[in-house]
Amino acid sequence: MIQYFYPWLKLDNLNSFVVLAIGLFSVLTIIYSLGFMNPVRNTESAKALVSNGVKGRRGLIQYYAYIILTAAISIGAVLSNNLILLLVFWGFLGLTLYLLINMGDDASSIAKKTFIIVGGSDALMLLGIGIIYYLTGTLKMDSIKLEFNNGLTVLAYLCIAVACFAKAGAMPFHSWIPDCAKHAPVPVVAYLPASLDKLLGIYLLARISLDLFVMNEALNIFLMLIGAFTIIAAVMMALVQHNMKRLLGYHAVSQVGYMVLGIGTGNPIGIAGGIFHMLNNSIYKQDLFLISGNVEKKIGTTDLDKLGGLAKTMPLTYISALIASLSISGVPPFNGFVSKWMVYQGLINNLQLTTYRLRLASVLCLVAAMFGSGLTLASFMKLIHATFLGQSKDSRPKESSDVSWTMWLPCLILAIICVIFGVFAYEVPLKYFILPAVKGVTFIGTWYAGLSTLLVIIGLVLGLLIFKLKGLRPTMRQDTAFVGGEAIDLKQDRVTGTEFYNTIKELRVLGAIYKRAEAGLFDIYEQGKNIVFGIGKSLQYLHNGVLPTYLVWMLLGMMGLFMVLLL
Amino acid sequence: MILPFFVIIPLGTAFLISLFGKRIKNLSDLLANLGTLSLLIFSLYSIPQVFVHKILVYKVGGWIPPIGICMVLDGLTSFMLVTVNLVSFLVTLYSVNYMERYTDKHRFYTLFMLMLAGMNGIIITGDLFNLFVFLEIASIASYALVAFGTEAEELEASFKYAVMGSVASSFILLGIALLYSYTSTLNMADISLSLSGKPAGMMVSFVAVLFLAGFGLKTALVPFHAWLPDAHPSAPAPISAMLSGVFIKTLGIYALCRVFFNILTVSSRLLFVLIVLGMISMVVGAFLAIAQTDIKRMFAYSSISQIGYIIFALGIGTPLAILGGLFHLFNHAVFKSLLFLNSGAIEYSTHTRNLNRLGGLSRSLPVTGYTSLLGSMAISGIPPLGGFWSKLIIIIAAIQAGYFVSSVVAILISILTLAYYLKFLKFTFFGKINEARQNIREAPGLMKLSMILLGIICVISGLLIAPLFKPFLQSAVNVLLLGNGYKEAVFGALR
Repeated sequence: MIQYFYPWLKLDNLNSFVVLAIGLFSVLTIIYSLGFMNPVRNTESAKALVSNGVKGRRGLIQYYAYIILTAAISIGAVLSNNLILLLVFWGFLGLTLYLLINMGDDASSIAKKTFIIVGGSDALMLLGIGIIYYLTGTLKMDSIKLEFNNGLTVLAYLCIAVACFAKAGAMPFHSWIPDCAKHAPVPVVAYLPASLDKLLGIYLLARISLDLFVMNEALNIFLMLIGAFTIIAAVMMALVQHNMKRLLGYHAVSQVGYMVLGIGTGNPIGIAGGIFHMLNNSIYKQDLFLISGNVEKKIGTTDLDKLGGLAKTMPLTYISALIASLSISGVPPFNGFVSKWMVYQGLINNLQLTTYRLRLASVLCLVAAMFGSGLTLASFMKLIHATFLGQSKDSRPKESSDVSWTMWLPCLILAIICVIFGVFAYEVPLKYFILPAVKGVTFIGTWYAGLSTLLVIIGLVLGLLIFKLKGLRPTMRQDTAFVGGEAIDLKQDRVTGTEFYNTIKELRVLGAIYKRAEAGLFDIYEQGKNIVFGIGKSLQYLHNGVLPTYLVWMLLGMMGLFMVLLL
Repeated sequence: MILPFFVIIPLGTAFLISLFGKRIKNLSDLLANLGTLSLLIFSLYSIPQVFVHKILVYKVGGWIPPIGICMVLDGLTSFMLVTVNLVSFLVTLYSVNYMERYTDKHRFYTLFMLMLAGMNGIIITGDLFNLFVFLEIASIASYALVAFGTEAEELEASFKYAVMGSVASSFILLGIALLYSYTSTLNMADISLSLSGKPAGMMVSFVAVLFLAGFGLKTALVPFHAWLPDAHPSAPAPISAMLSGVFIKTLGIYALCRVFFNILTVSSRLLFVLIVLGMISMVVGAFLAIAQTDIKRMFAYSSISQIGYIIFALGIGTPLAILGGLFHLFNHAVFKSLLFLNSGAIEYSTHTRNLNRLGGLSRSLPVTGYTSLLGSMAISGIPPLGGFWSKLIIIIAAIQAGYFVSSVVAILISILTLAYYLKFLKFTFFGKINEARQNIREAPGLMKLSMILLGIICVISGLLIAPLFKPFLQSAVNVLLLGNGYKEAVFGALR
């Protein structure tokens, strides 16, 4: 069917599974919203919807209309084979994102910030497309193949890459995501920044890097360094967050690093890994945000200090959260491990054959990526502990009722997909989705997913048996809590988990960086604002409202014109 | 022959309103709206006329042109007529309710119609001195309209505007006088003919500077812009919409184009000057707009910035760029008048224009909120609204012509444009609502209707470059591309 629209739209191996994923996420989001957005229950978000002028029913109709519109437009953007058409769809997504974020409570300034970053990057994309048109004379994406032999091509590539980075949230265009995660309605965050925007941004990055441009070494290194930096910097920020949604928001940034890194490796296995990671990430990240929504709906807050012990009250949510957290941390046999391992393989491949500079960058990035993965696990230990394990702050009535089925079902489905994509990685996702899109993938290490899963399960079962058989209860002893050598404030009589990694914050160098980061020093938006208002102020000084001054300008202007036109 | 009606109707309406408007209730509303509606119909009717005849020349009083005055209808004329009369009809529709806040509504309509007569006259005339006369009619009417509120702020703004406008007018008059002494004729086509027989000397360049400064002030190009940020916000909202929407384009851009492209020949140096002036305007306007807290002042600076885009595009001078420039002119007329009307509706309901005192209005003012959203998105170039397409064409044309640095600047400024319009939306319609404004009421029906119509045009104006409607725009572009060929076209039509 789609070939009738050629050359406007085109369906190929790279975008077909993205379309499928967009469809899946949209359906799950809508199912989830049926429960979450239900205005009968008086939750914060429902109240926010009302207080923001979208009264009950009308607000809901708008909300679902925007969600469906977003899905349709995203599919259009992914399928389009014409650069202008792509730009139209792409730019319109910024508007729906803006409107959806605005539905949150107190979200108007973050909606503005988001749209300035995303919409601004779309403007840069327009510039990039203009340059491509100038260089090639065509707008058909499948007939463009540009080599980097002059500065203009590089500029065009960078302009479009910036649009991808802003959409996906790679540094330094990430700063909207953590704030947005905190203030926007949860289904919106789970839907757009966490999954759809990742898919779109990385899809386009892959598209331009694989098809539209012939990558060279310098740009590959550039991509890799951006990726590595994003991984480390964002995960460091995530470690010290006290709000579940904000913590997840920083991880949403950090994971983009792996995808950019994978595409930057420039060899098939790395690229395939990056693209596979994009798919995996949107699955578990949407899952995690939906889970945070469950928690918010149930408890009314996502502040980690106030949570705890939810594993008993919300068993299904807890299982999903556990699986998704293990996936994002890259623990085998879940899907995150497979794709991360593929990215690592791509980096190791670079070590073997290529030039000195590329090798150096690859080593650096490999270290960063692995270290980042470890820190991810650490921060999710904190999250799981603080939310689901540990003790709850006050002894709430222990009703073991989870949230309504429309809310836990999408979480569980996504968790099951995480398992399937991990255990049967070669049989299902790689075979049908990823390998057809990237040609010539050769695996260097071997990883028998099925066998290792079996071993993991056997290990767990054995452990359980030993635990049960020995009967620990009689010899159990009580001791002071030990949390990785951290000083724990036991006055509250419980370990909340939020202060797990406070030591990092207290280190002198890192502490200073954290302080600056919180103040917005690394936020491209805040810095841009300062510059713009600085210039604006000096111009305002010139507009003093005195008529003779204005007349003098006019005279000066005329003198300038005389100089140019008469001399 | 429809041409004289474009001046006769507004002049006649102005006359009738000033005679009977005070005595008979609602007559002035009715007459003004009928007048602008008939003008709109006439201007739409002029489109097929242009397609059939290419160019039509009307001899006033039957005198043969170099001696008598002529009126010319070509693609550019009909394009400008449609733009001006479309906006003015919707603005008069809006004024019916809005102007209830002021006394002496009939005086307002009289002045409005005089201004409209001046603008239509500038567009259709084929005589340079006649152009000056109409320019003065429009300007003087606008000085009075800016002062219409007669508060201290309005009077001060009007005074500054009048002084600077008069300086500009005297430059233009001096330029016309010098050209007359040089060519012994005032007819535009005839001047062009006479100039083509003479060697290009210092005289023409000198006149060019005078015109550039004079019309540049009417266009509000930086550094000739200083009157605009005072004058446009002080006027009543419908007049702000007219001034920013079409007035500066008619008195400034249209006159500039006609004089420089069709009468004096465009040199590459002149185009370069246009590009530089356009760039400075778009940069300075945007940086100043973002710092404002008064809604209308922000829009006024935004007009300077957007006019910069149009002049920049015209300065590139390639067919695609001129298409983009004129297309942006139309789009800007639509969304900027919409935004000024929105600001009027906000002021109507809340009695303030200060961004810091507003917020959360989207609930109580849904129509104003949504149309403001549309207007803001269109001017920031969010697809698929009209402004996106014109900006796209301008950028692509700039890159094709090799102006890489300028196109990067234009893109960065469009990000800034998005930023300050989001600031406007955030501080007015989103966010926390002020408790004191819980129960405000939205503007009455006709104001809403006019905003909705403009909002719809914002959405569909991108269609102007669709194959079906493109000839309308293209015929206007062709007139500018014709350059010196204008004289042959006019004399050919006379024969």
